[in-house]
Amino acid sequence: MGQGFSFQRVIQFIKRDLVLLRGTFLTGFLVAIILVFLFCLLNMVWDQKLSLEEFYGIFGIIYIPMGILFTFALFREFGNPKTNALYLALPISTIERLVGKWLTVSLIYTLVLSVLALLVGTVAMAAGIILFGANFNLLTLFSESYLTIVGTYIFVQPVAMVGALSFSRNKIGKTLLAVGIVVLGFFLFNFLLYAMFNHKLGVFDEDGLGSMAFNKAGMDYSIVGRWFYGFIFGPLMLVVAYFKMREKEV
Amino acid sequence: MLTTNKLYFNYPTSPSVLKSINLELKPGNIYGLFGKNGEGKSTLIKIMSGLLFPKSGNCTFNGRSIQQREPETLQDIFLIPEEFELPSISIKAFEHINSVFYPNFSKEQFYNLLEEFHLKPQQIISNLSFGQKKKVLIAFGIAVNTQLLLMDEPTNGLDIPSKSQFRKVMAASVDSGKCIVISTHQVRDLHSLINHVIILDNAQLIFDESLDQVTKMLWFGRASSTEQTGLIYSEGAFGGRSVHARMDKEETEVDLELLFNGVLNEPARINQIMQNNDHGTRV
Repeated sequence: MGQGFSFQRVIQFIKRDLVLLRGTFLTGFLVAIILVFLFCLLNMVWDQKLSLEEFYGIFGIIYIPMGILFTFALFREFGNPKTNALYLALPISTIERLVGKWLTVSLIYTLVLSVLALLVGTVAMAAGIILFGANFNLLTLFSESYLTIVGTYIFVQPVAMVGALSFSRNKIGKTLLAVGIVVLGFFLFNFLLYAMFNHKLGVFDEDGLGSMAFNKAGMDYSIVGRWFYGFIFGPLMLVVAYFKMREKEV
Repeated sequence: MLTTNKLYFNYPTSPSVLKSINLELKPGNIYGLFGKNGEGKSTLIKIMSGLLFPKSGNCTFNGRSIQQREPETLQDIFLIPEEFELPSISIKAFEHINSVFYPNFSKEQFYNLLEEFHLKPQQIISNLSFGQKKKVLIAFGIAVNTQLLLMDEPTNGLDIPSKSQFRKVMAASVDSGKCIVISTHQVRDLHSLINHVIILDNAQLIFDESLDQVTKMLWFGRASSTEQTGLIYSEGAFGGRSVHARMDKEETEVDLELLFNGVLNEPARINQIMQNNDHGTRV
């Protein structure tokens, strides 16, 4: 074993997680296979086709929530007072733990689910052709929709990671509640900014403009804003997760 | 090896659990860490393994702060906690996924110990009793061959034959490079195993002596009613077990339970006697 950061140790740590959670992962992937197959098939009932957009719509519905659930499962050992003593005493540095967990739930999970979804989607399409006479459409990972979904997940997943590290009970519910409050806070913040900079339009007086203000406030208002939110929900959350892990006591 | 310096700890909104603890653990020793319930034994063990951080003072292992939880430090420390939950996998799989992190792990030693404890590598851990799970962890803790092995109430959950088996296994596993700390409130379980006694009381370290020194300075036995010279602590009115300053008496085997009770009742007096090197003073 090398000193400091050891990639070999990270790999061993990932293997450890995969062995410990193999039941959870297998069940999750099995559920994903069934859902992708059923949704693809049902989609072809109406218009006898499964477009790439439709396929990635189905993929996104399963990929993001399941990834979030896997993230919470991956930190179960960390939060349980009966298991975390042995877990925290393992000779692995905090950064190695974080990299290991992130690679498992981002890279490995994305790769496995993408390949599975593609195979199952193709099988479902073959079934659709036989059953409903659907049109053949080649499913591929080289699509903008796919990259958008994966990009969204990569930025959302660290939030779940921080939630899994922060709460000891009802982790998912509390994380959703916290995210909801933060989103509401940003929404109001955007709205106030809009009202301040556009007060000449009388946004509080006229109904039409007021609803327009709400609509505008619901969207990020600039490239700067997009980067700001992307930074908050992505890398910054990973930094928060790092310090949560580092400061964790039993 | 392990040093604590003016260690202070308290849980949030609770009074202090440890106050100004100064300790130095050296290799080649098996330390018995004793104290009444809630006196901070487990807390101290957790600080020693980096699972809790001191509020002030420090705890270092070979000069490195344990609080940093660096892999190079943790590779040489193993903790067997009092309460734990092991994953629902086979013993073999448990060994396989965890042993890779400990460079001095001995597979042969682990499987020999499993055999000694009548356990099979294929057994699923979740199907074992708590005592058997503890044996798996004890076997693993010994086989990792860390310089420091910390055990918190290791005999809890073990039946009577297993306790003597535990003593046998522990006695065989210590060597000059290792240091073992066994925390317990069941003082008798460590009979003939430890060679150094540490006692905590009222959040403070009230006794820290080797058994050699204890044997040299104290006398344990049933003194007659007329033999009251050097009496420090007695459990009965007449003829009960008692601790005396040894002075010129014959050497006796240390009665750990009696020593523990004596120290709790007369800490200042016993420590004063331990500091003298002329076989105690007549008091």
